[in-house]
Amino acid sequence: MLKAGPLVFFRCQAIESLHGGRKSEQLHRRSNEGCVKLRSMRLGFSGVVIAGLSGLIGATLGCSSTERADFASAGAAGVSGVNGAGAGNLVGASGSSGAMFNGCPEHPTPQRTQGSLLSMPLHVFLQNQAFAFGQRNALSDGGSVVPLNFRFYISEVALQRKTGESVTVDVLTAAGAPAPYGVHLFDAEEPNSSTLRVLAPAGDYAGLSFALGIGLACNQLRPDRTAPPLTTDSQMTWPHSGGFLFLRYEGRNEGADGSADAGVAATIPSMVHMGGSIAQELVPRVTVAGAFSLSSNSPREKALNVIMDDLFAAATSNLDVSDMSLAPGAEAIAGERLRRSISGLSVFQLEPG
Amino acid sequence: MGTRLLDSALPLLVLSWLIGCSADATPRDEGSLLTRSVTPTGFPKGTAADRAPADNALTEERAQLGKRLFYDPQLSRTNEISCSSCHRPEFAFSDPNPVSVGVDGRTGARNAPSIVNAAWGRTFFWDGRADTLEEQAGQPLENPLEMDFSLAEAVARVAAEPSYDQAFQRAYGEAPSEATLQKALASFVRSVVSGNSPYDRHLRGDDGDFGEQRKRGEAVFLGEKAECFHCHPGGVLSNEGFFNNGTFMAGGDTGREQVTGRVGDIGKFKVPGLRNIAASAPYMHDGSLPTLEAVIEQYEAGGRGDVTTDPLIRPFTLTADERADLLAFLQSFTDPTLLEDPRFAPELQP
Repeated sequence: MLKAGPLVFFRCQAIESLHGGRKSEQLHRRSNEGCVKLRSMRLGFSGVVIAGLSGLIGATLGCSSTERADFASAGAAGVSGVNGAGAGNLVGASGSSGAMFNGCPEHPTPQRTQGSLLSMPLHVFLQNQAFAFGQRNALSDGGSVVPLNFRFYISEVALQRKTGESVTVDVLTAAGAPAPYGVHLFDAEEPNSSTLRVLAPAGDYAGLSFALGIGLACNQLRPDRTAPPLTTDSQMTWPHSGGFLFLRYEGRNEGADGSADAGVAATIPSMVHMGGSIAQELVPRVTVAGAFSLSSNSPREKALNVIMDDLFAAATSNLDVSDMSLAPGAEAIAGERLRRSISGLSVFQLEPG
Repeated sequence: MGTRLLDSALPLLVLSWLIGCSADATPRDEGSLLTRSVTPTGFPKGTAADRAPADNALTEERAQLGKRLFYDPQLSRTNEISCSSCHRPEFAFSDPNPVSVGVDGRTGARNAPSIVNAAWGRTFFWDGRADTLEEQAGQPLENPLEMDFSLAEAVARVAAEPSYDQAFQRAYGEAPSEATLQKALASFVRSVVSGNSPYDRHLRGDDGDFGEQRKRGEAVFLGEKAECFHCHPGGVLSNEGFFNNGTFMAGGDTGREQVTGRVGDIGKFKVPGLRNIAASAPYMHDGSLPTLEAVIEQYEAGGRGDVTTDPLIRPFTLTADERADLLAFLQSFTDPTLLEDPRFAPELQP
């Protein structure tokens, strides 16, 4: 019953976010909170009994029949975990660090006013070569891939001290200001977005972790009421109540003769659309190992590599995601396969040294 | 001293008030103010004025000056072509010709895009080669296929008219210059806002003239079959991106690629906003599709078949009813108050 395809985002259409004025907005928020609370409640229970109850509460809250069916089947399935990433996982959330409870303010309260600037240029690779946006990237089989659109959100960044402690850090804009909503949008077409910057305390670290996407609270914001990067020109919005995509890739595969190469598609998808739901915490959390040190008030640069081989392999795997409640497009299936897998992969790697 | 100054200035102030500041072309009726505009529903937060850069704040004087320039053929080499020749208000500030006709009957390769709601744009022109409206404003003047003039010559021509000089002084506190000419044009364009279509009202919760067919059409638009939403998200109706929507064919205008030089940008053009789309035929960057029906038909076919077509453009089939519903929905974007708005009509200048 995991929701991932665009069609499923028509859930709770009674609370259609764009329709109506203040009353509708209040209804949207109230109903949405209700749906989310209901889902949270669901996580603590299991068994068939909850099925009917959940469906009834869902109806009371004004959720769509699809949403109610989801709640009901959730109870019937007896699913209670939130951290699993395998097939059949109902929620598949990754322990997003509390955005759901803390909201998603445009100007988040900084963790600190002083610290060391850690700049992480995001370098994208395919088959051990730089994956150049908008260019023909030669493949070992003679074909090529032309990436046409590649972007993803990073949020809730934390550094892992060598002692094991997790240190939440502030995401910064290119100008050094706190990033709106604490969210960084990587857009392969926009050079200013190619570096992830955080403000962190000095120390010895063993790696970092982050949410690849945005947490539920951010995902519930209306793109006509928000500032970049959570606006429609991010190209990361679903219609209706689908919220935002977490990751989007589109590309053109070509054979050696320049023609469309369907053969490449088996290993390199032409599209991957990951994430999107305002009712479920779906954002996966990524952990990246790699030792580095930060000195007091001394900036540090350390590249964060994005390995497309692993990303594409996960998106084109045969992972069973048939428990998605409605039939989404191939790109959403690819995205869901990636979402369920990515926490255990090495798509992101810190450059050694 | 202060009293004497006040004594001498007071009659002038009173006279100025009595005659409604006739030296100032700015209308005083609030209903006729160009800067009186609503924000289209579903657009990013902030008014058109909020979108203006700090060095060109939107004021009535600037917008009015820009309007005068917009309709003035003196900005072309031949004194025959104005901005409004290709951006005609009755066609939602677009051109009913597939490609526009410039000086000496010259034609380009692209259909003149609408300027409506350009205040919220991120880039301008079909290929996005201008980052600001100010930067955009001067380019048609200097394009040999359009107005074939130079900014310097245009400035010299308008500066020779005292009324223009006065208007620039009021708007910018200085004589006409290339920078202020472009800023004034940008200010007018920024004031052309459409936010009162049946679709806008629908988004505001008023379905009085929206109807069930348009609602069904909206479901098609936002649904998985037609997938219009990928490029035209609900509300703003453009994601401001560049996509190859299947109109480009090998050997044709390569669009965005001419700006970036990237092979992946071949055939990409900026996604247009769709407010008043039914009033701004023909369609696509080259004006090659005469009707919205033809647009829907091309998308159903998955484009024209070039290998560079975006993977999101893929064939699908609508039923006849779905097609009619979608068309009705697209027609709900028409804002008659914009098309008939006397504030945007040309008028005799002082």
